[in-house]
Amino acid sequence: MSILIDQNTRVLVQGITGKEGSFWTQHMVDMGTNVVAGVTPGKEGQLCCGAPVYHSVRNAVKEHRADAAMVFVPPKFVMDAVMESLDSGIRLIVTLADGIPLHEQAKIRSAALANSTVVIGGNTSGLIAPGKAMMGSIPYWIERVYKPGRIGIMTRSGSLTNEVTAMVVAAGFGVSTLIGVGGDPVPGARFAEFLPAFEADRETDAVVIIGELGGTMEEEVAEAIASGRFTKPLVSFLSGRTAPPGTRMGHAGAIITGGKGSVEDKTKLLESVGARVARRPREVGTLLIEALGERK
Amino acid sequence: MKLFEYQAKEVFAGAGIPVPKSVLITKADETAVAVSAVGLPCVMKCQVLSGGRGKAGLVKLAHTQAEAEALAEEYFTEVPSLHAVLVEEAVAIERELYLALTMDAPSGRAMLMGCVEGGVEIEHVAAHTPEKIVREYIDLDRGLQPFQINDFAFRLGLKDNALKQVGKICGALYKAFRSMDAELIEINPLFLTKDGSVVAGDGKLSIDDNSMFRHAAYEKGRPYYASDMEYEAAKEGIPYIEFDGDISLMCAGAGLANTVYDLVNYEGGTIANYLEFGGPNYMKAGTAMRLCLANHPKVILIVTFGTIARADVMAEGITKAVQELKPDCPIVACLRGTGEERVDEIFAPIGLKRLSDTEEAVRKAVAIASGRERA
Repeated sequence: MSILIDQNTRVLVQGITGKEGSFWTQHMVDMGTNVVAGVTPGKEGQLCCGAPVYHSVRNAVKEHRADAAMVFVPPKFVMDAVMESLDSGIRLIVTLADGIPLHEQAKIRSAALANSTVVIGGNTSGLIAPGKAMMGSIPYWIERVYKPGRIGIMTRSGSLTNEVTAMVVAAGFGVSTLIGVGGDPVPGARFAEFLPAFEADRETDAVVIIGELGGTMEEEVAEAIASGRFTKPLVSFLSGRTAPPGTRMGHAGAIITGGKGSVEDKTKLLESVGARVARRPREVGTLLIEALGERK
Repeated sequence: MKLFEYQAKEVFAGAGIPVPKSVLITKADETAVAVSAVGLPCVMKCQVLSGGRGKAGLVKLAHTQAEAEALAEEYFTEVPSLHAVLVEEAVAIERELYLALTMDAPSGRAMLMGCVEGGVEIEHVAAHTPEKIVREYIDLDRGLQPFQINDFAFRLGLKDNALKQVGKICGALYKAFRSMDAELIEINPLFLTKDGSVVAGDGKLSIDDNSMFRHAAYEKGRPYYASDMEYEAAKEGIPYIEFDGDISLMCAGAGLANTVYDLVNYEGGTIANYLEFGGPNYMKAGTAMRLCLANHPKVILIVTFGTIARADVMAEGITKAVQELKPDCPIVACLRGTGEERVDEIFAPIGLKRLSDTEEAVRKAVAIASGRERA
């Protein structure tokens, strides 16, 4: 089992005929993802990556029941694309673009909450259940990172995901589901919201969180553990431990403001509820072994 | 994009928020005219983006024209790359409030914040008595409703005219927040004056970088950056932060760059600059290296683990950059990801050896910077 997606998830791709859209949709299909339809206004009737293309999500959903929408549109058009899928009743949406205007990020988040919908992203490479399905631009072919296994992974960063997940695999583990919530200040979905699903998933033994300075997502994870909503082992690596306060470190959300959001405070809180926090990427593997025992 | 105080106040004034009379000067010899327009005493305020201007002596009261002129002279000669001073009327203050709007990520709503203990100590209040800061959450589709403003102002403990005036300011501030695509808009202090009116004493406004296409009138020129190199990097769209240490970071991806930054610090090294050339910039190795070399680092540390940002493409860029720029400092390169198997061959002409472990690369760079190891 995995959470959110598997080979049976019926995926619709918005912006399927674009350069990035068709490139990554082909990879999704090659990996085994069940892409049932695509949407590009003006291109209804074409085939792309083996999937029929429609003018609108409405038309696509009428012909092909879809469980999930993958959004490959430029940042300015993301909010409209998300609202379009929401409007057609789709309840899992993944959006990759980096550069969604902040006030639109907030409207997407607010609409996701109001409609009990999971909107993952933006500014992410997406979502993958290795060996089963992928929604995003994730290089599933890199075996030392995307090896199927029993560890759930959630991340705010693309580049660091490869670095840290490689350590998980090097320590003898693999990945059940990896969710990139993204590096935006107002992501559509937040770490703690996926913990109940990982808790219920019989094929996930532990969760690794790849976080960073800024925001409150790591604090919410600590709260979920403290309240008993998540009881499996949790290991975390947080970047930006030595970052100077008030300086924006690459991601828009990666900043310590008004003394809040430091890695030190996040670490204290996570450790106080029994989570393990690695100081270096390599320690993620060591701490997983400590929590779960050696893997052969 | 963080705006200067005078720009924030232009926005306030446009939204109907009262601001003190002021004149912006860009040379010391414009002081006399400015002072005669705003009157005495006046406040001389350096237009810089760093916080804590008062404590740093960059905002001072002048009682006479001579004092104002002396301050202007001092500021323009001594404050590095200062481009303007705001000459502003001094307001007779009774109380100072704090008002701000920002985005609340968990709820996806705007968050209005207020405190009756405004002024320079607001961060102290936030850290020690956060309950004194009153909050109201606003759904962006519905907007800020009158009942919310009322409740907010009552919770602040305001009465009578002050309640009414501050309420009006909240409405105007919210409109400005939305129309400017602000990530933060702040009036601190908001003066309640002896004659019962309200005036924005200082203003902060930061426009969301992703929304700048809707605010093309603001051009982010050199005054908005701490150094020439940060400005150069920004023009190339490369995230770059200058420090004064030994090791130039050239990393792909913000998360990885932050991790390498931490690891260098753990190992006792120091950072010359943070530079991130992942994502859309992965083909700009030459520009990235030129920016690093401008800091005269003792070593350049390259760390990547890219997929779309292919290792072989970055290696080709690095090889070309080394051949063209002939850096006088050693390079440590740790490249992983798509095409990594081709990197050694690509690096052969410049004699660079690819490392594959981040920590090993960091230790090597720190050892070279400290003189313990030769490249």
